[in-house]
Amino acid sequence: MHSSIILSYITFIYFVSFISYLLMLVMGKGLLGRIGTWSSFAGLLAHSAAIILRWINSYKLGMGHAPFSNLYESLVFFSWTIVILYLVVEFRTKNRTLGAFVMPLAFLALAYASFSPDISSHIQPLIPALQSNWLISHVITCFLGYAAFALSFGLSIMYLLKRLDRDEKTKIFMKLIPKPGVLDDLNNQMVVIGFLMLTLGIITGSVWAHSAWGSYWSWDPKETWSLITWLIYAAVLHSRMVRGWRGKRISILCLIGFGCVLFTYFGVNYLPGLHSYAQ
Amino acid sequence: MKENNFKTPKINKIEVHLNPCYKSLTFTISKHYKRVFMSTSKSKNLIHSIWNFLGSVKLTIALLVILALVSVLGTLIPQQIDPLEFQGKIHPRLFYLIYSLDMFDLYHSLWFKFIIASLALNLIVCSIIRFPGTWKRFSTVPRPDREKPFESLPPEHSFIVNKNLDDTASATEIFLKTHCKNLIKKKSKEQCFFYCEKGRYSNFGVYLVHLSVLVIIIGGLLGAFFGFEAYVTIPEGKTVNSVTLIKGGIPLALGFEIRCDEFNVSFYDNGTPKEFRSELTFLSERKDVEKKTLLVNHPVNYKGIKFYQASYGAASIKKIHLKIKENGSENKAAIIEAEQGNPELLPQGEGQFMISEIKDNFMNMLGPAVKISIRPKNGPEKDFWIFRNYESISKRFPKLIESSPRLNPSSFKPYVFSLEGFDYNYYTGLQVNKDPGVSIVWAGCFLMVCGFFVTFYSSHRRIWVRISIEKTGLEVKVAGTSSKNPVGLKRNIENIINGLKTILA
Repeated sequence: MHSSIILSYITFIYFVSFISYLLMLVMGKGLLGRIGTWSSFAGLLAHSAAIILRWINSYKLGMGHAPFSNLYESLVFFSWTIVILYLVVEFRTKNRTLGAFVMPLAFLALAYASFSPDISSHIQPLIPALQSNWLISHVITCFLGYAAFALSFGLSIMYLLKRLDRDEKTKIFMKLIPKPGVLDDLNNQMVVIGFLMLTLGIITGSVWAHSAWGSYWSWDPKETWSLITWLIYAAVLHSRMVRGWRGKRISILCLIGFGCVLFTYFGVNYLPGLHSYAQ
Repeated sequence: MKENNFKTPKINKIEVHLNPCYKSLTFTISKHYKRVFMSTSKSKNLIHSIWNFLGSVKLTIALLVILALVSVLGTLIPQQIDPLEFQGKIHPRLFYLIYSLDMFDLYHSLWFKFIIASLALNLIVCSIIRFPGTWKRFSTVPRPDREKPFESLPPEHSFIVNKNLDDTASATEIFLKTHCKNLIKKKSKEQCFFYCEKGRYSNFGVYLVHLSVLVIIIGGLLGAFFGFEAYVTIPEGKTVNSVTLIKGGIPLALGFEIRCDEFNVSFYDNGTPKEFRSELTFLSERKDVEKKTLLVNHPVNYKGIKFYQASYGAASIKKIHLKIKENGSENKAAIIEAEQGNPELLPQGEGQFMISEIKDNFMNMLGPAVKISIRPKNGPEKDFWIFRNYESISKRFPKLIESSPRLNPSSFKPYVFSLEGFDYNYYTGLQVNKDPGVSIVWAGCFLMVCGFFVTFYSSHRRIWVRISIEKTGLEVKVAGTSSKNPVGLKRNIENIINGLKTILA
């Protein structure tokens, strides 16, 4: 079976998982939350299998490369990193509410990959510039970073929602969401992971650029936007660790930061530059 | 008032730069501004404030945000283009603004360098200002009988045991030694104190990160001052001894020669390129010294200069592939590889032919074509053109072909000639760089990642344990502080309490 067909089915599994988490928030039923967890876990297993299958198939086709080489494959991997990171966080915090805010991102990434007419799901051979050992480490670190920032985005929205309900008047919808302090702390952990991974991603990318193009930094739009994202999150970390900012201001900065992440990922394709093969 | 004049314009300048982005900065600066005019005796105070401002985190955040915004501009305005190309497309005033601020090469402009320099200065000053405090946290060992950590201690951090002080103290000491290395003990008649700590060095994590940023900037500067970026194109079989600098297009002598022996490009079945390969020979005084193969992602290093496979192209046509078929018989066809101007024999030796002319695009619309001159042993000489896309041409312009024998590939009976394709002589395009700063940049990157781990994932943790004789029995209390990660500290303290409870029970 084609990995891309499996992946388009997984899109629906993630949608089920998202709806279950959301209904759990609205109705307060624990069972729905468990459905959410189990469906996203099942989705993740199938998702991993599909990625491995695609990897094997690329060898069968005589191209033999990791499935990280075009927009389709990167979206599939982005969705995968979001789900796995989310499940780790869910397991550690024993709280399922974040699922309602993060699973839609995993679902959308996979749906965009599977159903957009502009994106080809064919396994394509690697052009010479992509034939490098740095491909795998660069893509993994970047997308783990992006996924951590996606979780931080979800947590920031939860924080801002929770603030609307400081008197705890409203019903169940807000009750299940953890206390603002917990959200803030978790958000910081995600920003730290994301920042570390983004740094590693930029470093591996520039080592690669140095061997492929002869220059470790050439102010190509993708490079520049990743630096912009890095600077924004550096500002977040400084304002939190040294100026003591918490809560609302940090959440808003994290929303802006995630906007930069998305622009680095998608928006840059509309600007000319060396990463344009990622289209 | 006059002696301060040299300072005021300087402050003014900073204000202009930061004003739109950070309101509170303007506020601080204008406060100093007033102070300068109000009293000269406070000039020391002013220097002090400027110093503090240069080392402030407010400035750091402002600079990071400014750098981000400016970088956004750089991705929106086309960089390193000829400004004249852009002139007609936007409003003249906007063009003038962009042009005069050097924004067509923004990342190399003076004011961009000024922002980077400010960030470096900010890092250095901030490190100097904060160093004494950090050093104090690092070096001072607090007294084990300190009172403060035990103020407002949660009740679950203390418990009562019914034993004598000496036994309890020695059992506690043995237990704590398994938990931390440098245990300090202080004992009196009624009380016993323990102190231990972990992760002192984490205080310097931030310094490591900041140092790494400076190291990377230094590496970049070294590259900019002592390195170069250039390119060169070498046709197959040719030798060059100089390259062209990208900045200014000036030639630069290498001090040795490079010859391109061969260039090969291979393709996948779907037509995407698979490999670009240049076989290079490096020569010294016209003698071969070293042969090297250059591929994309595998640069070649020779005498400290690095060569990268950057581009390729067709320099000239090496061979022409012709198919000669006998009219009527489908199977009999000869493929001949001819060179321009070199006579070749006809399949059955009835004469000679020669390619006398090549056109990439005949009449600018009919595609590649070659002119063939046939000299048979008997009979007159014949010249006519052979097309690559003969079939589509004959469908599009049937009359043209019929009426003109000079365009008909079967003008020499009994043969039909067709043009199969060309073998090219390629040239290889090389990026040629020298950058003595690269290894320093990598060292900076490594330092930064190490610094992040120390900063984010280690903490300076201090733990105090106190055993004192109370009316109800022996009271054991555990308290602690941590530079970060309060959750980890809490877990640490709980572990110690649970361990002590089981040992002392």
